[in-house]
Formats: sequence, structure tokens, C-alpha cells
Amino acid sequence: MPTTGQLVLLSLATLAFAAGGVASVARLWWNRDGLRIAAKALMYVGITLSVAVLIWHSGSRGSWIPLEDNFDAFIWLGLLLALFVQYVQRSKPLGGLEWFVMPIVIVLMIAAGVFGKAKPQEYVDRPWYFIHRVSSFGGLFAFFIAGVCGVMYLIKQRQLRSRNASIAPQLGSLERLEHITYSSVTLGFALLTIGLVTGLVRVLTKGSDTNLGAQWYTNPKVILAFAVWVVYAIVLHAPINPRLRGRKTAILSVCGLVLTLGTLVAVQYVPTGGAH
Amino acid sequence: MQRLLLIGLNHTTAPLAVRERLALTAERQAAAIAAFRERFGQAEAVLLCTCNRVELYAARITHGQPKTEEMLSFLAEFQQVPLPDITAHVYQKTDRDVVEHLFTVASSLDSMVLGETQILGQVRTAYDTSAKLAAAGAMLNPLFQRAIAVGKQVMTSTSLAEGRLSVASVAVNHANQIFETFSDKTVLSIGAGKMATAVLQNFALLKPRELLICNRDPAKAADLATRFGGTAVPFEKLSDHLVAADIVISSTGATQPIITRKQFDSIRRKRRFRPIVLIDIAVPRDIESGVGELENVYLYNIDDLQQVVAGTLATRQDAITAARDIVVKSVEDFLVWHRTRKLGPLIDQLYKKSHDLAREELDRTLGKFPNVTPQEREHLEELARRIVNKLLHDPIKTLRDGGTAHTPAPQYLHAMQKLFQLPEMPDDDTPENES
Repeated sequence: MPTTGQLVLLSLATLAFAAGGVASVARLWWNRDGLRIAAKALMYVGITLSVAVLIWHSGSRGSWIPLEDNFDAFIWLGLLLALFVQYVQRSKPLGGLEWFVMPIVIVLMIAAGVFGKAKPQEYVDRPWYFIHRVSSFGGLFAFFIAGVCGVMYLIKQRQLRSRNASIAPQLGSLERLEHITYSSVTLGFALLTIGLVTGLVRVLTKGSDTNLGAQWYTNPKVILAFAVWVVYAIVLHAPINPRLRGRKTAILSVCGLVLTLGTLVAVQYVPTGGAH
Repeated sequence: MQRLLLIGLNHTTAPLAVRERLALTAERQAAAIAAFRERFGQAEAVLLCTCNRVELYAARITHGQPKTEEMLSFLAEFQQVPLPDITAHVYQKTDRDVVEHLFTVASSLDSMVLGETQILGQVRTAYDTSAKLAAAGAMLNPLFQRAIAVGKQVMTSTSLAEGRLSVASVAVNHANQIFETFSDKTVLSIGAGKMATAVLQNFALLKPRELLICNRDPAKAADLATRFGGTAVPFEKLSDHLVAADIVISSTGATQPIITRKQFDSIRRKRRFRPIVLIDIAVPRDIESGVGELENVYLYNIDDLQQVVAGTLATRQDAITAARDIVVKSVEDFLVWHRTRKLGPLIDQLYKKSHDLAREELDRTLGKFPNVTPQEREHLEELARRIVNKLLHDPIKTLRDGGTAHTPAPQYLHAMQKLFQLPEMPDDDTPENES
């Protein structure tokens, strides 16, 4: 359970991310250096505070292994996304990336506060389970990126079709957005596959002695995770079936993102069917 | 007396789909002028045809032919376009409005891309075509020569042409929003017009993997290929080149689309649905608009590109104001010049006729008085001269000051000629400050 102090610090990190996001969006109307610097500084403040929360939480629970509970996992996910944005914007800027990623980061931070406080998850009991969680969350991270780039691709394509390409906000080229989407899906798909296989191994070896119960294959979490896997498997077929390129890949990535969020919610809310 | 007439349509009154139906090649423009002269023998005519406008300027004697409706019918018939299809898009102007419009056009203030310099060359070409066919005479010769001079003045003495995006740079910008790198892309240029060359020049700077130049005239293709380090390829194998290309720049003089949706649909399969950017800067268009509706196909025509360029308008408001001032002053100068060149000989005629009449009457009267001394005769002659001058002073002043919005000078001139039975003035002089 996170302490009140950790929750306060998390709230400050969330506020910093939100303020940074607002400053970044404000540059659409007032493109001033002051706003750019403020947005960047606030992002780094948010990142620093998030890292501080993670260290404090790990210290207080006496374990430095990440993703051991919801609080930890959601903050890690949000932090990685924020770091990804900063990395891209430093190495090869992609206009507007933060406008789409930061809202997800903020939602994840809020989710960490809500779900982390309300329902702590089981601690890691076996190495396989740890691999299952790391790969699943790694997959989530990649799918978030793919989904965001998918949305950006669709908006960009709409701009280009409406002939407003030069006056609309620059969101990077379609080719780059497609490349990031496809790379993220490839990485996410590999990680999700590992997550599903390790989860399956755990279920098969422990039988009904898991939180999914004997009818584990009817659990919405399992069904949604499998649906996510199928959607991204289709996306990965784009090089073989070129008709899937571009817009269809972007739409599927966005669908995958929605299903991924559904899986996350299912993990939190759907009642488990058996003993742990 | 002559009247100036104009009928036309442009990018603000007619969409590209309508404009391209009236668009004429250089050869067709000359043929149209010849046909116009054949139908309306005494009228002067200049046909200005660009990708943004088709305008027919005419000068004819008052109450003569053609009327504006006849000009419109002529244009529709010549281009075999049903009249109702274009009527709603056409504007008509007469006399002073024609002068103002032409000066505005030549200054590129009526262009979609304010400050573009191409229009000046197009006005000159249109005028030259008519001049060669002896279709521009006493009215249109000075008008067009002055328009070209005004256009030049605007370009050189204002900053209208500075700080604007070019169509070529916008085309590259569009491609940049679709493709990240160009070192693995193939650029195909179809046609070898001025605009296509400018666009190609911008794409060549991106160092694409391959630059293909395709033209019906292999010599022109080879020439461009040498200039930009590309490869000249045969026009007959256009479909194969479209399969290989990632960016296509098309600017041919074809009157029908050279790339249709049906044709491109099959090409798309061979391309394995790779994204493609099609830049169609031809008028009439080379590429069917339906091609742009296909998945992963990004088609931009001349209007799309120019609209982006026009977006830079707000940043050049000062230059626009300065250019407009030049146009307004030039219109006034031209009208004053035009009025005075007619007025001078007419006033001379009027004075001569009136003084001759006075002298005749004086001689007849003095014949009845044989004892009048030479000194007295001189006084009486002076009296007659002064009476004539005083009588003519007001009407001549009105003539000289005429040409305002409420009292058009041509009508006064016409009235004076009729009232005093003066002969018609020959229309053979030109302005002093022409280019």
C-alpha cells in the first residue's frame, strides 16, 4: 500500500506532467521559447518526482524488484512513456508526440493512485510470474506507443487528404509514424507472446490454483489479452499483405490500444474465479 | 469612339474543373484570336489564358460588335463548352473597370499566389500573340503595354514578390509530410514545362535514389535529365514508370487526363500499395481527381498547392497596399492619357471650325462697311476671337475635366462630335511611357 506521502508526491508528479502537457499544447497558439522551456522543465520535474515515488515506495515495502504491485507498475509504465517522449524529442523530434502521450501518462499516474491504493496485487512468487508481468507490461508500453502513433497517423493522413498539410500542426511524416507503429507492434507482440506463454505455463502447471480459476479460458482478462494478440498478429502481416499498410495498420493499432486498455481494466475489476 | 470589354473567369469564380474546360494551349489561343477577328472584324482582342484564369479582352467602336454576351458565346462555342456550364462563373467588365482589372492582374494582385512573377510573362505572351495577328490595335496596344509596365513596376518597387513560398517548395513540403527519407525514393517527372522544371529542381535537391524524366519529346526529356542528373525514359512506358515512382510531377499539355483512376488502380497493385505522391500542376489536369481517392495515394493539383502559398498573404500586407497604390495611380494616369490623346485633336478641330465661322461672318459684315480702317478691323477680329474663346471655354473645360465616375469622357467626346459635326479622330497613337 502506498503511504499518504507517496500519494502526495505522485499527485505532484501528475500535476507537473499535466502542466507540462498544457504548456506544450499552448504552443499551438503561442509558439514562444518561454513556453517550450516551461513544458520541457515541467516534464523533467514530473519524471524526477515519479522516480522519487518509485524509490520511496520500493524502500518502504523493502523490495527493489519493479512491478510488484499496481502502484509500482502503473508508475513505471507512465514513467517509461514520459521518458520515451523526451528521448524522441531530443534525438529526432516528432511534432505533437507529447500531446498524445502525456494524457496517457497522466491517466496511468491517476490509475496508480486509485488502483494502487485500493487493490494491491500479489507479490511475485516465482521467476516465471515475474517474467510474465515484465513482458506483459513491456508489451503494454509498446502498444501504447503504437496506438498513439496510429492516432497521429490517422490525423496526419486526414490533414493531407484535406489539403491542409502545410498549415496544420506538424505531426511528423506518415512514413515515420508508420515505422514507429510497426516497430512498436513488433516489440509489443514479442513481449505479449512471452507474457501469454508464461501465463499459460503458470495456469497449466498450477491448474485451478491460480486467481483465474479452473475456467481460466473464459476469464475476460484472458480473452481480451488473446484478442489483443490476434489484432497485433494481423498488423504484423502488413509486409506480407500490403493492403494492410498505412491506414489499416493505424486503425488496427488504435483498436489494439483500446483492447489493451480493456485488458488493464479487466485485470483490476473482473472478479477472479479461484484461489491464488 | 471605342469601348473596352472583358469577359473571363478565374480561380475565385470558377473551380479548376470548370477552368480546365476553357483552358487553351498557345496554338489554340492564336486560333481563337483569328476566329474572333474573323467573326468580329473591326474589334480588337487579346486572350489571356493561364492556369488560374481565362479572360477575353476586346475593344470595339461604341454601339459596335461584339457585345459581352457575344464574346461569351464565342468562347463557349470555340471551346465546345455548353454556355450554361460557364455562365455562372463568368465576370464581365467594361471601360475603366477593364483597365483596373488588367493592371491588377499584371501586378499579380489578382493571382492566387500574390507576388508570383509568372503572370507578367503570361500577359506579355497573350498580348504578343494578338499583336502578331494584328488583333491588338489603337486601344489594346497601349493598354497592354501599360499593364506590363505597371506589373514590372510593382515587382521592382514593392516587396510583393519577396518572402512568399513557391509552388515548388510547397510541393516538396507535401512530399516531406508523407516520406521521411528520399534516398530510397524515385521521382518521376512527366512533361517539361517551366513549372514542372521548377518543381523538379526542388526535388533534385533532396537527392532521391532515382530521377526519371518522361516526355513525349525524347530530346526535351534528355535535356532535363542531363540538367538534373536524372534518366530520360520513354513516354510509351508510363505505366511501368508509375509502378517504380514514389513521387510524380505531372505537367503536360494534354487536353485529356493521361492517368485515369481505372489505369492507376491496376498500377497500385503492381506497386504493392506503396504510398505515392502525385503533383499535378497541369491545366487541364493530367491526373483524374478520382485517383486521389485511392488508398495511399496523395494527389495535389495546382489549386491545392497555390492555396497553401496564398496562406502567406497576411505577412505581406504592407507590400500589397503599396502595390495597390501603384495600380490605382497607374489606372488614373492611363485614363487621363487616353482622354487627352483624343481630346487634343478634337479641341483643335472645334476651335478651328468656330474661328473659321466667326471670321466668315465678320468678313461678310465688314463687307457692308467699306470705310472700316485696318485698326478697327483688327479690333473687331479680336472681338470675334474673344467671343468664340469665351463661348468654348466652358464646354472645353468640361471636356478636359471629364472622365470622372459621373461624366465619362467618351460620352462627352461623342456628343461634341455629333453636336458640332466634327470628323472622327484616327486611333493610331500610343502612350509615351510604354515599355
